Amino acid sequence: MPRPGAVIEVDRNTPPVLFHYGEGVRLEKLPLGARIVYPPDPLEPIAHAERAIKRALAKPLEDDPLKSLLRRGMKLTIAFDDLSLPLPPMAAPDVRQLVMEEVIDMAAEVGVEDIHLIAALGLHRRMTEDEIRHIVGERIFSTFWPDRLYQHDGEDPELNVYIGKTAEGEEVTLHKRAAESDLVVYVNLTLVPMDGGHKSMSTGLASYRGIRAHHNAKTLLGSRSYMNPPDSALHHSCIRQGQLIEDTVRVFHIETTVNNHAFPAIANFMQKRETDWTAQDQAMFLGMKQLTDLAPPAFKRNIFHAMRAPYGMTSVQAGQVDAVHDKTMEAVRKQLTVRVEGQTDIVTMGVPYLGPYNVNSPMNPILVVCMGVGYMFNFYRNKPVLRKGGVLILTHPCRYEFDAVQHPSYIDYYDEVLADTRDPFEIEKKYEQRFAEDPWFRQLYRKSHAYHGIHPHYAWIWAAHGIDHAGDIIIVGGERDVVHRLGFKAASTLEDAFEMAEQTVGRYPSVTHMRMPPIMLADVE
Amino acid sequence: MTWYSGQGGLSGLVRTIGRAADDVKRVRRAWHWDTPRPHTWPEVSDVVPARASDLGWARQEPVRSIRYLIQRGLLLPFTEAMAHPKVEGREWVRELERPVIFAANHSSHADTSLILHALTDRARDRTVVAAAADYWFKRPLLGNIVSLFLNTFPFSRTGGAQAQLHSSSQLLKSGWNLVLFPEGSRSPDGRIQEFKPGVGHLANETGTPVVPMHIRGAYQVMPRGQKLPLPGPIRVRIGKPMSPEPKEGSREFTARVEKAVRTLAAEPKQPELQGTWIERWKLSKPRELRYETDET
Repeated sequence: MPRPGAVIEVDRNTPPVLFHYGEGVRLEKLPLGARIVYPPDPLEPIAHAERAIKRALAKPLEDDPLKSLLRRGMKLTIAFDDLSLPLPPMAAPDVRQLVMEEVIDMAAEVGVEDIHLIAALGLHRRMTEDEIRHIVGERIFSTFWPDRLYQHDGEDPELNVYIGKTAEGEEVTLHKRAAESDLVVYVNLTLVPMDGGHKSMSTGLASYRGIRAHHNAKTLLGSRSYMNPPDSALHHSCIRQGQLIEDTVRVFHIETTVNNHAFPAIANFMQKRETDWTAQDQAMFLGMKQLTDLAPPAFKRNIFHAMRAPYGMTSVQAGQVDAVHDKTMEAVRKQLTVRVEGQTDIVTMGVPYLGPYNVNSPMNPILVVCMGVGYMFNFYRNKPVLRKGGVLILTHPCRYEFDAVQHPSYIDYYDEVLADTRDPFEIEKKYEQRFAEDPWFRQLYRKSHAYHGIHPHYAWIWAAHGIDHAGDIIIVGGERDVVHRLGFKAASTLEDAFEMAEQTVGRYPSVTHMRMPPIMLADVE
Repeated sequence: MTWYSGQGGLSGLVRTIGRAADDVKRVRRAWHWDTPRPHTWPEVSDVVPARASDLGWARQEPVRSIRYLIQRGLLLPFTEAMAHPKVEGREWVRELERPVIFAANHSSHADTSLILHALTDRARDRTVVAAAADYWFKRPLLGNIVSLFLNTFPFSRTGGAQAQLHSSSQLLKSGWNLVLFPEGSRSPDGRIQEFKPGVGHLANETGTPVVPMHIRGAYQVMPRGQKLPLPGPIRVRIGKPMSPEPKEGSREFTARVEKAVRTLAAEPKQPELQGTWIERWKLSKPRELRYETDET
């Protein structure tokens, strides 16, 4: 029986706790009385994933069996999530591959000639062939690439159709092929509560015109948090758009969840609580610490990004999107939820090497903010672990380091926009249009492997709620100039950071360390 | 003649030794057979057909195992590193039920290793490559080494249809797939040359299906006259196996194969030659796994 998540109080016998530090690790001693929140252990995966998938397709929720929806001569489109999920990328075979193979088997049996597979990447970067092959598997790739298996292009005027407006005035666009299909099968992998549901189609197959309806500072600041859909304005907007999409095209939704077994055997110590570390784990930690302290960043990155997570599938459900997503949320919460009593003055978190937008590239300063103050801060229900006006302490080297291929617009955003202002509303007013419509960024998004021109802004506003909520944000070990550009404070050590935090939250503050990844969702009472 | 006849004796012995010495000298002086010869002289191989040998030793154990190790350890990794070939249509050669002829365009010495790289382990292990007898087997040592690496056998380009048929049909009948380059020799400019009718003849006579293949990019990697390959992108496209129609002649069938190879060279996929996705999907189905229990 896997252990649930735990909150322990630091006493004299508590071992030092692991902090992720970009492409490195640290072991830090926390003050007596501080709390450490640990994620639950990975749930037992389903023993025979293929069988569970077959069963889900044959007995869907509030929908007819998939096979009965397929017929010869129809237009079938399968859309699937891109490489931003799961993190780290899953060890082969990816569950999306298993699901798609079942769907394609059925289509082949029925004789559906006209079938297309679209990577629903929204405004994310185009994946490389190897990255797609990893998600869909060799069999699907060799059969369909590149004419029937391809990637969504949110900037192709020919390939995006305008569907209409929601009651709230949100515009909705959809990939033309999906809009013209007799049936769209969406294959999703949900890692965190933010994913899946109506958001899959309404962002994955949309253009900037549709996505800007909810990817804006007002919506994000109204999402408390976007990891808890009932309290998320982002999700409410996506649901409205999704309902309009469902009125336009027949969608059969398949969602899968995985456990939080995020690290392979070689990095097992990252998965375990420190009290459970064996001599081998300690040796691995020491080895990795020495290596990452000495090795140049690019070398470390290659090692870290080569890691594949041994995730196991914990649930699969298919059918009508709302019914499916409810079940998915249940499974995700079962894996991620940790009950935490009350808020604290200081929250500490180690920002790891990887976020959704830097697979196979360095985590640039804007993405550090997006990951630490955005995603990691927002992993809560009810209220944040950090009290309003408290201090958020993150550990990350936070270098001035950008990937010119994947993140060209991030460089301009950092150098020009953040030098001018950090206020999301002001940025939207002054810069959004320029970045969204820049022809060179558009070209790189469409033809190279670059994120859309507006994407750095989305990464920045993803942290808007966290920045607004925290009284101070301190980055331990970060480059001073970079941290200051981001509007935060830099500290050399964790002790210094606590010292600095006292100026904001007073002497003897309460401290909570969120020991992730593996990820968790703090249910704060 | 007796030793006392007057013509023999010591003088006769001396004359005999002298003649033998002359012969040795003559042969020694003429030892370098492949030195440049006047342009007006014909090539030796045009006149004298290659010795009929099918290098049977190369298809027997333990040579097959040694070749497997050489190919897996050396040839295929080298090909992958240099060209990272993209293979389309591998499913057509995954589970071959009977021997086939692989007919590909030929623009480079790299073609053979690219074709072998494109095949599955199972198909590769049962594949022989037709190598020009007058080119590769002119020097026996070279021919044998190439045969050890690539499982080649001497294929006469000059001995007529019967000579070609003889060893090739024997190999096909004994279950070997055959790689043939119907153009006869490497293209001088990378473009596909006219196909010689041998492939159609062989397919017709033996009733063997022909798998058309097109290799794109090999000419840029290692054109004619270049000793070492350069890295470059390669695409190997494998088409659906083709069989001669009941009353189709060898030349007509060869023309059809040639057209198929030329069509495979085009950029978009060719469903009529490469098969519909349903056909290819069904062919690529992995063997069923058996679960230990019925519980999920």
